[in-house]
Amino acid sequence: MSGYLAERSLFALITLLFVVTAVFFLLRLAPGGPFDGERALPPEIEANLKAVYHLDAPLHHQYIRYLGRLVQGDLGPSFRQKDFSVNDLIRLGLPTSLRLGLSALVVAVALGMVIGIAAARQPGSAADILLMAVNNISLAIPTIIVAPLLVLVFAVTLSWLPAGGIGSVQHFVLPVTALALPYTAAIARLIRGSMVEAQTQPHITTARAKGLNETRIILRHTLPLAALPVISFLGPTAAGLVTGSVVVEQIFDLPGIGRYFVQGALARDYTLVMGVVVVYSLAILTFNLLVDLTYGWLDPRLRVG
Amino acid sequence: MTLFGGPFRWMWYLSGTLLIGWAVTLAVVPAARASSDQAQTLHLANAGEPQTLDPHRYNLRLEETLLNDLFLGLTTFNPAGQIVPGAAMRWQTSKDGLTWTFELRRDLKWSDGKALTANDFVYSFRRLLDPKTAASLAYFMYMLDNAPAVNRGELPPSALGVAADGPYRLILTLSRPYPYLAERLLYPTAFPVPAHQIDAVGDAWVKPENWVSNGAYTLQAWQPNAFVHLRANPEFISPVPIRNVRYHPVVNEQSAYNRFRNKELHAIGSFPAGELETARRQYPDSLRMSDLLSMMYLVFNTRHPPFNDVRVRQALSLAVDQHTLTEKVLRSGNRPAHSFAPTLIEGYTPAKIPHFNQPYAQRITRAKQLLAQAGFDQNNPLKLVLRHVAGIEGKKVNLAVLGMWRQIGVQGVLQQAELRNHFADLRQGNFQVAWAGWVGENNPEHYLTLLKSDIGNVNYGRFTNEEFDNHIRAAQREADLIKRNRQLHIAEAAVVHHYPVIPLYTVTVRRLVSPKLKGWVENGRDIHPSRYLSWQDQLALNHNVNVRLSR
Repeated sequence: MSGYLAERSLFALITLLFVVTAVFFLLRLAPGGPFDGERALPPEIEANLKAVYHLDAPLHHQYIRYLGRLVQGDLGPSFRQKDFSVNDLIRLGLPTSLRLGLSALVVAVALGMVIGIAAARQPGSAADILLMAVNNISLAIPTIIVAPLLVLVFAVTLSWLPAGGIGSVQHFVLPVTALALPYTAAIARLIRGSMVEAQTQPHITTARAKGLNETRIILRHTLPLAALPVISFLGPTAAGLVTGSVVVEQIFDLPGIGRYFVQGALARDYTLVMGVVVVYSLAILTFNLLVDLTYGWLDPRLRVG
Repeated sequence: MTLFGGPFRWMWYLSGTLLIGWAVTLAVVPAARASSDQAQTLHLANAGEPQTLDPHRYNLRLEETLLNDLFLGLTTFNPAGQIVPGAAMRWQTSKDGLTWTFELRRDLKWSDGKALTANDFVYSFRRLLDPKTAASLAYFMYMLDNAPAVNRGELPPSALGVAADGPYRLILTLSRPYPYLAERLLYPTAFPVPAHQIDAVGDAWVKPENWVSNGAYTLQAWQPNAFVHLRANPEFISPVPIRNVRYHPVVNEQSAYNRFRNKELHAIGSFPAGELETARRQYPDSLRMSDLLSMMYLVFNTRHPPFNDVRVRQALSLAVDQHTLTEKVLRSGNRPAHSFAPTLIEGYTPAKIPHFNQPYAQRITRAKQLLAQAGFDQNNPLKLVLRHVAGIEGKKVNLAVLGMWRQIGVQGVLQQAELRNHFADLRQGNFQVAWAGWVGENNPEHYLTLLKSDIGNVNYGRFTNEEFDNHIRAAQREADLIKRNRQLHIAEAAVVHHYPVIPLYTVTVRRLVSPKLKGWVENGRDIHPSRYLSWQDQLALNHNVNVRLSR
């Protein structure tokens, strides 16, 4: 087991290095630089700026310098947010993204499982068709439409909830709803599909034949099997959710790190984009590892020696 | 079997547990909390997230808004945006216009209680031009003696043309006459920064816990992308009616509009143009429209044939109907422009493009003739690419322009790019015809010099005209403001016949301001320092403040 963990961690590090390298050089290929704006800079001023941020050094020097600092956990200064380091920005933005993402994840898993299992009880029944129809609709409408609609109804028209910003738990209700909706639908579909399939497995039939009661069959035998596709779906989804949802953060003016990504890319803030990429990669790698470990726990056939 | 009984009971336990878990997560994961005294807080929308609150490193208009609350320069604005004495009580200029002597107020203090003297200003100007500061707007003060050389690192900061004569007298020495200096000092580049605090904590002085400034407010908290919270500075020269101000960066106009309608914000900077009629009906007491000192224009790349041919430029210029653009296409209150320097500038009469009051049909006929003379006709139509910044407004305007040009047989296509790429390409001269905009000062030179041949790459079209350059140079030698502006008018009148640009319109700012707020005065700079604002029901308090000030 520890050998497996060590091997996986090594591969994770190599993947991270690859991602960091690729993004570092791809960013420099984009036209324009961090100090371009509407106002042009006199050459001496541009030279001063580049010197301060070490952008006057050859690209490979900049790369080595960046890696050296990264190893020490230093993500560098932000070119755009001059009063903050990238570490500062992530420390300030991550809690909001975590709050939003974890909340949406919990709501999506809880509601998605209830809907999915309810629908799977009697495939083809009226309840199943109704639940899945509602489900497919909420899966099909993109967040970019749902979110402004929620704002229009619950903030602007009814004035029940704030339209944007942070400050209280109420500020999170609309964003969490908007973010959780498509994931709830996706999880419900997955659970329903795999529950229907799992019920036909030989060991479930055996369990039934042995006269076990239905609750025990679902809890001990069907659900662990049916949960596998949901778990593999949750790995990358969770990583994406907790590192910030670009669209939802933008629409609700939430200060998470998802927005840094867009702002950083538009402003050619190389270090900020790199910082978010590093955090995002780490999250994906961690969650994927967790998913693989959970797999082995849920399905003994997949256990590594 | 029901959904709530039997084998499904566990399901409800599980979801219940998860939902409780969610509630706990919300409570445990820390996020920025609102300050305690929200009732008195003024909530303002800002056009975006400030990149810095260091006045010497700032670069954006949306940062000026905040910096004007945090600092007080030698000169400042009154509520109507006019120049009035700030940290300096009065100033005088030598006859040759090269020496400016500022008499400072005696009661100036930093927010930590330390006295602020002329030496703080000397330190600040030197810091601005020190190459180590890497101030992107350092060139705003290049008129100071030796400033460019200091900024290039060729001379030490002590060589800069700034000196203190005792604690309350500051002397600025210029390398060339610059009658607009009092206006230039309004910009944060000329604000004083606390030397004692920067010496103590270095670059971290801009953090809320280290913050020291001399304006009406100090920095209380800053959560990037969420808010910047300012609190009244107890050491400021006069008390302010509103003690807490919170700026919220709003990335899009729709979100600002929603939050204003939901009473979360007291004033917003802009809202979607399509909502203008609704706003007129629903919020007549809140709607504030004001013309901004600005110029939106099309620029020709005069190095790129056939746009090096003045006949082609004139033809394209003749075919653009500015009134149609503002009244039929944009319909958001913008003013049509017929000169490159905005008409809003005080004390200056702009030179209008020659055909501005000709009937449109006549202009079209003339434009066709000119194109034919330049060798373009139905068989050989003029083809061009018009570049603009991505966005609905830009697309609307530029599509309409292409439509106008189609009437004279021009086949154009649009090419859009995000703002940064657009202007990067313009500076490199990678375009044929392009949309550009300039938000500037209350002085014609700020606009006209964009067409000077040696100004560098902000002369996007690489336009050169010796006669124009000479007039501008003559103006720049002039220390007297009236004479200088007269000379600039001559320069502009000389250049309009060469059609280097097509002026389109000046921007009108659409704002919504809560009727609860008093003291908001529309002005061409669109500047509204929070210290002049008060709550309507606070008039009694306001009265006291005025009494104290006048004493």
